[in-house]
Amino acid sequence: MRANPSDYEMIAPGSLHATVALMASEPGTWLPIAGGTDVMVQYAAGNLRARRLVSIWNLPELRRVEVTDGELRIGAGCTYTDLRQHPIVASEFPLLASAARWTGGIANQNRGTIGGNIVNASPAADSLPALLVCEAELILVSARGERRLPYVNFHTGYKKTLLAPDELIQTVCLPRRYASYISHSRKVGARNAQAISKVCIAALGWVANGIVEDVRIALGSIAPVPLRLRETEQALTGRSIDSASLLLARKTAMAEVCPIDDIRSNARYRTTVAGNLVVEFLNRLGPGRSHEPAGAEDTSDNNVLERWNRLPIEKATGAILPCCGSKAWAQKMSARRPISNEDSLLVASNEVWRSLAPPDWMEAFQSHPRIGESKAAQAYPQSVAWSAQEQRGVTDDSLSVKKALADANREYERRFHRIFIVCATGKSATEILSILQHRLNNDAETELREATEQQRQITEIRLRKWLQG
Amino acid sequence: MINSRAGYGKIEISFTVNGEPKKLRAYPMERLLDVLRLKLGLTGAKEGCGEGECGSCSVLMNGVLMNSCLIPILQAANTNIQTIEGLAAENSMHVLQQTFLDYGGAQCGICTPGMILAAVQLLDRNPQPTTEEIREGLSGNLCRCTGYNQIIDAVAEAARRRNSA
Repeated sequence: MRANPSDYEMIAPGSLHATVALMASEPGTWLPIAGGTDVMVQYAAGNLRARRLVSIWNLPELRRVEVTDGELRIGAGCTYTDLRQHPIVASEFPLLASAARWTGGIANQNRGTIGGNIVNASPAADSLPALLVCEAELILVSARGERRLPYVNFHTGYKKTLLAPDELIQTVCLPRRYASYISHSRKVGARNAQAISKVCIAALGWVANGIVEDVRIALGSIAPVPLRLRETEQALTGRSIDSASLLLARKTAMAEVCPIDDIRSNARYRTTVAGNLVVEFLNRLGPGRSHEPAGAEDTSDNNVLERWNRLPIEKATGAILPCCGSKAWAQKMSARRPISNEDSLLVASNEVWRSLAPPDWMEAFQSHPRIGESKAAQAYPQSVAWSAQEQRGVTDDSLSVKKALADANREYERRFHRIFIVCATGKSATEILSILQHRLNNDAETELREATEQQRQITEIRLRKWLQG
Repeated sequence: MINSRAGYGKIEISFTVNGEPKKLRAYPMERLLDVLRLKLGLTGAKEGCGEGECGSCSVLMNGVLMNSCLIPILQAANTNIQTIEGLAAENSMHVLQQTFLDYGGAQCGICTPGMILAAVQLLDRNPQPTTEEIREGLSGNLCRCTGYNQIIDAVAEAARRRNSA
């Protein structure tokens, strides 16, 4: 039955100090409400037992992020949107950034808070495994003072926590020491937005010389609380990643979880998926994909991406820029990290490229030299080298063809007011000349479409080279 | 401090709705959605699920997309609320309203106000979204009529019209 608002009292004290004073005056009476994404749902269904609420939404003391050398201190009142938009979360805590992206939809991310998610203590919450693997600590506050404790001990049973009746979570502290670990997360649910996970994983790993040095794995929706898989972690540490260790990890993980049957899934499915997710994570860590401490050279495909995924956003943008030449493209690509493999990288590139506006396309075109020349209006060192490789076929042709190409280039620029763009890789000057003469017949709109398609192909080829290091 | 001691009674709430200052009396736990629809006669925001799943009650609070069914009115005190009714200027539709019309983005209309406000926030933050970004920006708004493609096309077109204007 629907609740009657006249049965409820609610106060917004406006400061943290006044809030904890109120809670201390009648411990256990006042239920804190922040963004209301859980409390208001219970209220609407007539299931909210508390009759007196204290609003902590938007309390300035709870809605700030502090960055120190050693840790990120996130105010418990920060929303998922706040987390998604914070540059350090994006660059150093990809597990938390993905979890924030997968929680609810945009409107819920604008209201739901990290502190609320922890206190609501749903074993299915997407962000909690991410906090577990990076050894988060909580600062709790009450009129009696503050105390700091490891998050891993906070959940004591289904929807039970260590929070005293007069206490609030003030800050979530995340150590920055795992920023260079390989990270892996996945939500298995009916869909990412809105749906609650059937199973979700967050994991961090460090492999050196093919040996697992450190691994930390947490799962959601497979136990009464978000769970660290300590036994699985222990079984893997010190081993190389091979079929025997994958088998062992799957078996240990499946024995370690204790899920239930409910409306979203059943225990058997969840147990199987838990094993699959652990194996999927290990495959990311696996042979040929291990990474060395920062500074060591390693040129395999995946390591280029892994390294790029971990760069601060400005550096990542600069690193990928020569593949295309458009700054907007490079920024949007960096914002889409982490990108796990070549296929996803190419799909993302195509999508981002098509979404750009004509001035961005123009910027990319200008980073190429005119066909037959070597100097672009606006080039990056790496793109000069790539342009030379791409145009290798052109340099081998006769002088008369080169002359005709130069004339046609001029004609093209006069008609379309930009340089002629063609994916030159593998094409001779004669072939390019005939393509160019054909394209001179296009109307402006068709030709712009053609040029952007050619640039898309060039970018794709360059991304593949880039992945090779 | 918005309100020192409310007691089990109504309190006075001041806020701005679509640019107009409003003052009214309400119980602090009344939902913003109900206040808009029943007290202010603004029926653009709809109640679908009543639990933050469907997005049909979406409004902008201080420019930020939120589900008004999950906002106790006390938390809306002294804020700026924008509803679908405040989107069009005098005699001309907002570009998103126009493209929703042009592209068949609205059928039964229940989701449309929330869908358009979600798109308003998306384009404010990201004027050139990719298709994937549009899908994500609208992922909290459910539509049971269109199959979504017309809506996504309408938002993409609105972005193009804005950027070329």
